[in-house]
This record gives sequence, C-alpha cells and structure tokens, in this order.
Amino acid sequence: MGIFKLIIRRLLLGVATLFVVSIAVFLLTNVLGDPVKRMLGRGALPDVVTARRAELNLDEPIVNRYFTWLKGLLTGEPGVSYTNGTPVWELLSDRVKNSLFLMALSSAISIPLSLFIGGYTALRRDGWADRVMSNQLLVLAAMPEFVVGAFLTVIFATNIWHIVPAVSRIRPGESPWSDLDGMILPVATLVLAVTPHVGRTMRAAMIEVLESDYVEMARLKGLPERSVLWRHAFPNALGPTLQVIALNIAYLAGGVVIVESLFNFRGLGIALRDAIPEANAPVVQFIAMFIATIYVISNLMADLFTIIVTPRLRTRLQ
Amino acid sequence: MTDQRKLWVPPTLGRRQLIVGAGAVGAAGLLAACGGDDDTASVNTTAPSGTTAATEPPGTTAPGAPATTAPGVTETTVPAGGIKSGGTLRVGVVGSTNDLMDAQYIVARADQARLITGWEPISNYDDNFNIAYNNSLAEEIEAVAPDQYVVRLKQGVEFHNGKTVGADDLIYSFNRLIDPELGIAPNLTQFIDANSFTKLDDRTVQIDLLKPSVAFLYGMADYGATIVPVDYARFAGDPATQIGTGAFKLKSFTPGSESVHTRFENYWGESYLDEVQIIDFADQSALVNALSSGDIDVAIDVPYAQAGSIESSGELTLLESQAGNWQTITMRVDMAPFDDVRVRQAMRLISNREEMVQRVLSGHGRVGNDMYGVLDGSYPKDFPQREQDIEAAKALLKDAGQENLEIELFAPDDTAGLPEYATAFAEQAKAAGINVTATVLDGGTYWGDQYTQRVFATSYWSTRPYLNQVGAGSLPTATYPETHWPPAGSNFVELYDQAIAEVDTDKRNELIREMQRQEYEEGGNIISYFQNLIDGHATYVKGAVARPNLINFDHFGRGWKNIWLDL
Repeated sequence: MGIFKLIIRRLLLGVATLFVVSIAVFLLTNVLGDPVKRMLGRGALPDVVTARRAELNLDEPIVNRYFTWLKGLLTGEPGVSYTNGTPVWELLSDRVKNSLFLMALSSAISIPLSLFIGGYTALRRDGWADRVMSNQLLVLAAMPEFVVGAFLTVIFATNIWHIVPAVSRIRPGESPWSDLDGMILPVATLVLAVTPHVGRTMRAAMIEVLESDYVEMARLKGLPERSVLWRHAFPNALGPTLQVIALNIAYLAGGVVIVESLFNFRGLGIALRDAIPEANAPVVQFIAMFIATIYVISNLMADLFTIIVTPRLRTRLQ
Repeated sequence: MTDQRKLWVPPTLGRRQLIVGAGAVGAAGLLAACGGDDDTASVNTTAPSGTTAATEPPGTTAPGAPATTAPGVTETTVPAGGIKSGGTLRVGVVGSTNDLMDAQYIVARADQARLITGWEPISNYDDNFNIAYNNSLAEEIEAVAPDQYVVRLKQGVEFHNGKTVGADDLIYSFNRLIDPELGIAPNLTQFIDANSFTKLDDRTVQIDLLKPSVAFLYGMADYGATIVPVDYARFAGDPATQIGTGAFKLKSFTPGSESVHTRFENYWGESYLDEVQIIDFADQSALVNALSSGDIDVAIDVPYAQAGSIESSGELTLLESQAGNWQTITMRVDMAPFDDVRVRQAMRLISNREEMVQRVLSGHGRVGNDMYGVLDGSYPKDFPQREQDIEAAKALLKDAGQENLEIELFAPDDTAGLPEYATAFAEQAKAAGINVTATVLDGGTYWGDQYTQRVFATSYWSTRPYLNQVGAGSLPTATYPETHWPPAGSNFVELYDQAIAEVDTDKRNELIREMQRQEYEEGGNIISYFQNLIDGHATYVKGAVARPNLINFDHFGRGWKNIWLDL
C-alpha cells in the first residue's frame, strides 16, 4: 500500500469521524436547554414563545433540523447566535484566526523545545542536567496554568516590571500578528503548560529507544554516535511523542479557556464557555465542530509523520 | 438572562434582565414612593395633581458647578486650565460573546454601558433622586391625574441620523417597551396599551393609563425608558441601525470584543471626547490587570478584594459611590419552616451585619436593616437597627419548635458576594444551635426553573424606590416573588393598591409606612448590607463624581458626555 493510498484512506476515515461527531454534537446541544425560554424570560406569553420557536425552526423535526444545520455548516452559513442575533461566522471569524495563531505560535515554540529537552535529558539520564530539568518539568506540569499566567503577569506586566502588556489587544477585524507584544504572555504561559507533557513523553520514549536492541546493534556495528542518535534513536522516539503533540495541538486550539480569560485573549475557548450556559446552540455547534476538525487533522498528521519518521512502519508500506 | 459563568472569578451583574427588563421600567409598580419625612434625600413629592417643573432647564449646569463646566461636573474636578477636549477613552467592562445591543433592554453590565452611551431616557433623577430633565429628552412632564400624564419633549433634539426627535418616536418607544414579541417590560402592560397615547402636537404626547399609578412618573426616569426613532430594532450586525440621541454614536460593535462610539457633532448638550471604546473583558482579574498596565483608562466594576491594589497605585484611583444595591437571603413565608414568623425573626437576629460588610464586601458597603429602597425618601431610617442577638434567636426557635433546625441555603456561583454571604450566614447560624448548609449551584441551574421556588435562597437587586420594589419582588403578582410575601391574611396588597393610586403625599406615606412596618417585623428578606459601586480609573480621566448613584462610574458619565481627559 502506497503512502498516498494511506493518506486517502485516513482522510476518508477522518470525514467519517467528523460526521459521527456532528451527530453527537447536534444531539448534545439540543439537550443544553431551551434557548427560547432563556431569551424571552419567565414571563413570556405562550404564543410569543411559539412564534419565536418557529422563527428559529425549533418546531421542525430534529432530523430536518440536523440536515439544515449540516448544510449550513458546509456552505459557510453556520447560523445566528441566539443571544444577540449576530451571524455566527461574524461573531467568531476573528476568534478562529486568533485561536489558530495562538496555537501555531505556541506549538512552534513548545514542540522543538520539548523535543530538545526530552532528547537531551534522556541522553544525560540521571546526570545533573537531567535531574534539574526533569524536576523543573514536573513542577511546571503540576502548576495550574492560571498560576503560571498570574505569576508572569505580576512579574512582567503589572507589579514589578511593565515591559509587556497584561492583556491581548487585538482589535476586531485586525490580524492577530498586529499585536505580537500582547501575544507574549499567553504564548509563554501555554509553552510552559505544554512543554512538560511533551518533554517528559519524549524523554521516556527516547530512554526506551536508547535501551533497545537495534540501538545497541547500531553501536556495536561501530556507527558514529551522531548517526546512531539521529538515524536510529530519534525517529523511533518521535513516534509516540507525536501522538501527545497532536493531543496538545487540539487542546491549544480551543481548550485554553483559562489562559484566554486571564489575558483577555479573544479565542474560541471563551466563546464556547459563554455559549454553553445560554444554550446558544449555533455557537456551541460551530466551535465544537471546529475543535473536532483540528483534532482529526492533527491526529492524521501525527499518524502520517509517525509513519514517515519510523523506519519500521515506513518500510512496511512499500 | 445572562449567566456569564466564570471559571474562577464570577461577575456581579447579570441574570434576569436585571435593571431594565425586570423591574425598573416595567415592574408592577413603576418607580414610586414619593416623599417622606426626610427632606434632603426625599424623592420629589410631586403629586399627580400638579406639574413637575424641570428642576433644571436643559443644558444648564448642575447646581454648584461653574458656568464653564458640563452638567454633573463639579468644581473639584476642573483644574485651572479648564476642561480639555478630544482624545479616546478606553473603558473596560466584563462582557461576553452573548453581549447584545438594544436601546431599551440589557442583560449584562456591558449591555448597560452601551445602552447608556447611545440612548437617553424621557426624564432622569437628579442627585437627590428628584425628577429632572438635564440628562434626558423631555422638557417637562405634567402629571394631570394619577392616570394621565402629558410629556413634552425638548425642541430640536436630533437623532444620530439627523432626524428630529418627535412625538411619534416617543409613542413608538413606549409601544416597543410593551411589545410582547420583544418581552422587554411585560409588566408595563398593566398600565399602558397601544391606545394609551394621544399625540397633542409634534413634540407633546398625552398618556392615559389603564389604571392610576403615581409611580408611572418615576418609571419614565429609568435609564431604560429611552426614546428610539420609529422602526428602531435591536442590533443584528449593522452599526448604522443603532440610532439614538446620545453624545456618542455607534461606529462598530463586535459582541465579546468591543464597541466603538464616535462623537456626535449635533448632540444637544456638551461633550468632550472624540471617541469612546467599550472593551469586553472575560473576567474581572484581566480587567484590573489591564487597568494596572495602562491598557485601558477606566475599569467598570472592580472586585472589592482588588480595590486596595488600585487605591495604592499613584496613577490610578477609585470611584466609589454609595449605592442602594442590596443582596438578600430569602425565606419563603408560605413554606415550612418559615411560614412561622418566629423562625423568620430568629433568622434575622442571627445575621451579624457588621461582619457581613467586612467579610463579603471587604468593607465597601453599609449595614442593612432588612429593608430595601434605601435611596428613597420614604426609607424608614428611624426603624431600630437590627443587631445580632443569638439568645433571642434561640428563644424564638425554641418557641417555634425549631431549635434543631437543619436547612439548606442556596447561592449561585455567578454573582460575587452571594456564595460568601450564604457561607458566612451558615457559620453565624451555628452559634444559635441550628445547622445551615450553604450550597452553591452553578448560575444556569440556580436561576433556572427552581429560582423563586426554593425555601431558603439568596438573591440580589439594584435599587428602586419602595413601591417599585414591592411591585418587582413583594407582591403575589411580582416579577420575582422570591419570599412569596405577603403571608396569607395580610392586608399588604390592599395597602399597595391604595398607595399607588394615592395622590396625597402624606396619605401615601402613611400607607407606605404601614407596609414597611409589616415587612420590617415579619418579612422574608434578610438584608444585611448595601453594596457600594466601585470603579477604577487612571487619574487623568476627569468628570466622574462620587455621589449616590444607581449605576457604575457616575452613571457612565451620563453616556460619557461629562468625561474628559487631562493629558
């Protein structure tokens, strides 16, 4: 089976996954609560409630509503926010951009950093560098993001120094890179949050690989150490680490509510948090599907990269 | 109905269409409660037989202000150089992607700030809570009879689109308030319907109420009783549709991010800023951080716990206004164990009010006396201050056979203060030998179907005159009958009906006094404190005055027209 065949098969599988997710998301958002009751309040007259339900197509059978919604989603018309009548895309397009940028920037820094730290500490296992770094990673991993973020804010933005902005200041309609200063603290917080997980996974994987028979074999063959590490050990350790990276990317795209709140970063996490208690189904559905898509894509990429970098799997394809 | 639940820092306002929808405009008793023995703080005792003359002609200065200043700007805020014009004011407020923009309806505080920026009410309160017209669109309101009012609008006031404000707009605005499709103020339908309005001339409208209400006059001074142009509709994506009369007109609005308002050159009054940005913050910590780091100029509604850090900064200052906002522990008077008046009285004796002010408000408030309407002239200041008396409480509980009472007290997690209030009360109750368990629910659940059904719960209100508050919360027909007051056999409702139709101030106050006495002795509210409003701002922001206020930041500088930057 060639690599392209594999990609196509995995893509189809991804689409199928998203289809199943869309059914689940739609059903679940329908049990969030009655948006009409929330919109009109307790004193609303029954015929007004009925009229509003009809206006929102809530009186139609659920299957029809599902397909109407799916069609809208695929054609770029994901509906209108129940709470303020703003089209969902208008409400969230900036946030999609912002979240993707935050994800990309945090990943671009944290992935190489964690791979380096993980690989380096594995090579110097039980040395002083390993002990110090491993302990630091453990401490960081144990600290909640808001503690890290609040510390950084106090030190660099509000109380001790005033060298970076305390909050993100991306204006509506502007691109997120227009406010790189404002990205510093959120990105730093997320890098500190993500790096320990990936770094520790990489360290464990690398240690396992370094103890494996084939690395020993390579060394016994008399290969230079550089070649042993880069050609044999590193690619094989990357496989399991990539899976953890994929999970972290999906998390960075929509799960960083606390960091978004702390730095007033206009991302999707806050929007999702705002929408759920209001039973604002169109917004919840859009964000849930967005995060699911990122999740599917990042996992797909991780699988492909794993195959490409792992000699064992790569050769099996041919 | 908002429910901006925060993961770890709850906001304070929100929920149940608080100020506009619930009570102030619409409530069964529009603002009412006139007069009182007290002279200075009393609401103007304008009986509907006379005319409420404008206490100040439009456009002139507030009493005591130098001739060069804007209304509401006091001498102390004006430096030798005088007021400076121009600049952009950046205002931070907790908001969310659920923010909406409507000229007559709000859910959360961010909505309130935007409403007051774009639109102006028919009349307004002055500093002593008398009816005035200096921050509003009427020239005069004549109370012909308790069921007939004549509103004459100021001449030549322009909407943002250049159209002149006229009688048709006023009629449209009233009809919009009672439009069942919008549900803005459903309770107002008791007093007016589509046939209540007669256009006398281009700027004069006669209003005939369906039933007499002396309170109606005061309802028109509510900030939500605004005048919108005919065919106005809620924001749905196009800023150009948001036409009002305020000093700043809408340029852009993205819910959850910001709104930008630019100076309206043809404003009927004076204003100084070029632009106002109202910037949404996801929580109060980020708001305070942004103020500290200079990313905003004004932070609306600062958490009590963080007020100190602002106060200690040389570049920032607090604006703290005594307000009549109150939080309450509600006991259902129709359900056991609180259907026994002795149990209610015992609970009220358990609360250590001084400690509540310190613990819940960090000292930023005043003790309460189980009575509401503190800014109203009729507030019974002479009722003895209720103090903690554990022995008396124990005796009452024993008499009632409830000395081993075990009960759950509910609080929502989305309203700062209420979980703390419930927890503190539960601790204080231990001294009386009863077991109160404070249970904090998520806001969505708390304000859902079971709200007003729970036997023992907590709630919060903004301030209203007494009769208005009765209409909103203390009648069988109330919008939110939290305590299910009055108890069976009481003549409270009759007293209310008499009071609201009584044109003679003295007679009305006698009726109010009796109602207050009943609530003071037997009511279901435990009102331990009134909260202050606290905002933070950079010291170069001028024009906001600390005074008794219903709304944050000196009523948002009455739509920012009073605010200027000393840069």
